Amino acid sequence: MATKSGNATALTVLSPIKNGSLDEVSFSDITRERCLRLPIHEKSPLSKVPNTYLARLFILDDVYYESLPANDRVFNFSDITSLFSDSARKKALPRKDHLKSKYLVFSSNFYGGLDEYLAGMWDNWSYVDHESIQRDVRHIWEHCVAFDRVTDSASFIHYIKRCQLDASLFFNGSTDDSLQEQLKSLYLKQEFTRFAVEHQGQGAAEIQQAFKAFIERVQPENLVTPTWPPGKSTP
Amino acid sequence: MSNIAGKAYAMNVITPIRWYMAWINKLIFKIALSNPSTLKGLITLSLIHYARWVIIPRDNFPRLDPSQPKEELNYSYMLFFSNFNGSWDQYVDSFTFAIPSGLDLFWKWNVRYPKSVPLTPFHDYIRHNQIDTAHYYNAYPMAASNDVKSAQKIKKALINFNAISADKAPEEFFDDYNKLLNDLQHHFGDMKPTPIVSLSADAVRKRYLQIPE
Repeated sequence: MATKSGNATALTVLSPIKNGSLDEVSFSDITRERCLRLPIHEKSPLSKVPNTYLARLFILDDVYYESLPANDRVFNFSDITSLFSDSARKKALPRKDHLKSKYLVFSSNFYGGLDEYLAGMWDNWSYVDHESIQRDVRHIWEHCVAFDRVTDSASFIHYIKRCQLDASLFFNGSTDDSLQEQLKSLYLKQEFTRFAVEHQGQGAAEIQQAFKAFIERVQPENLVTPTWPPGKSTP
Repeated sequence: MSNIAGKAYAMNVITPIRWYMAWINKLIFKIALSNPSTLKGLITLSLIHYARWVIIPRDNFPRLDPSQPKEELNYSYMLFFSNFNGSWDQYVDSFTFAIPSGLDLFWKWNVRYPKSVPLTPFHDYIRHNQIDTAHYYNAYPMAASNDVKSAQKIKKALINFNAISADKAPEEFFDDYNKLLNDLQHHFGDMKPTPIVSLSADAVRKRYLQIPE
């Protein structure tokens, strides 16, 4: 299974949205609107979900391809062998597909195991929406098929696992440290860069003294504080 | 739509693949996984945080209840998700220029994949099959993928330097300090929001507050 790369995990979830509508607005559009209106950066509910590196939500309305609808039964091989001329290949157009349900897609890259992460989602996902109402994770998934059976952390984990798809290939171009470790490192990088610039040209004893005070202040091995909060968007 | 969160861009691409060819793609991914040197080209593209490919067999879209209509599809589908730094064009072009053959290998069996060279048909293909993100969260909007990797090195070096050199005589400390800065010079850099951050964040903020454009 390629869903892990070291300690980093790739979660891909497709939750079918109920066909139907409420007050003439389809459930998929209601869900889309709720996703679009989520507060961003530090205020995103995902900033409260432990160990989330990067995550996204979107609605899969249908499947797409760049071509015209037609039948490709005869000319499938043309893609492999290129035996046929371009004009013949152009005639070998694919068939048209449409989905019967729309899907809420949740994709997350995070540190650690899946069960622990999903429990963290259930417990911590909270935000105040644009109407000043406090919301939890159920607000986003509310109109998904069979989500009404989700009542607690265990049933949420079970539900998401039913919607989960394995990755065929997960590429980690970053690190697989815990988020706390990544954020502390970024904090130190920022602070130490500034320290180096500010103390350029000073004498040995002066820099040494300042360095000791700097270490005291930034506490490099203390992951909890001082550090960057998740989603920090301003210096 | 918010494909951008700070310095990261979220790309979602869904492409059809003939169901009887999907196993070849899965095999290629398996070989790539068991032989990391095949991903060397991807590692060169240091602007990527995390990326993944997911193949959904045509009869395997999640169906959670008998009341949900069963999908009847001609093709299986390949989903590609990426988190990268920079603009859409920079990313797509860097793929084309850095690893065209690797790209073709991963998408070769997808219906109407035009190959990664020349650029224009490839751009059209990705653009047509791309889906915009509704909510994108990035734990460190001000940091690029390279910042995260550099930060890991700086933290390690700083702790090590503090343990070994902090209490040495001032002149010796100074020599070690200068060496430390010299060794880490590629990893320094102040992290700030880029202009892209403010433009996109501003657009999202306006939409969130329902301020007309």
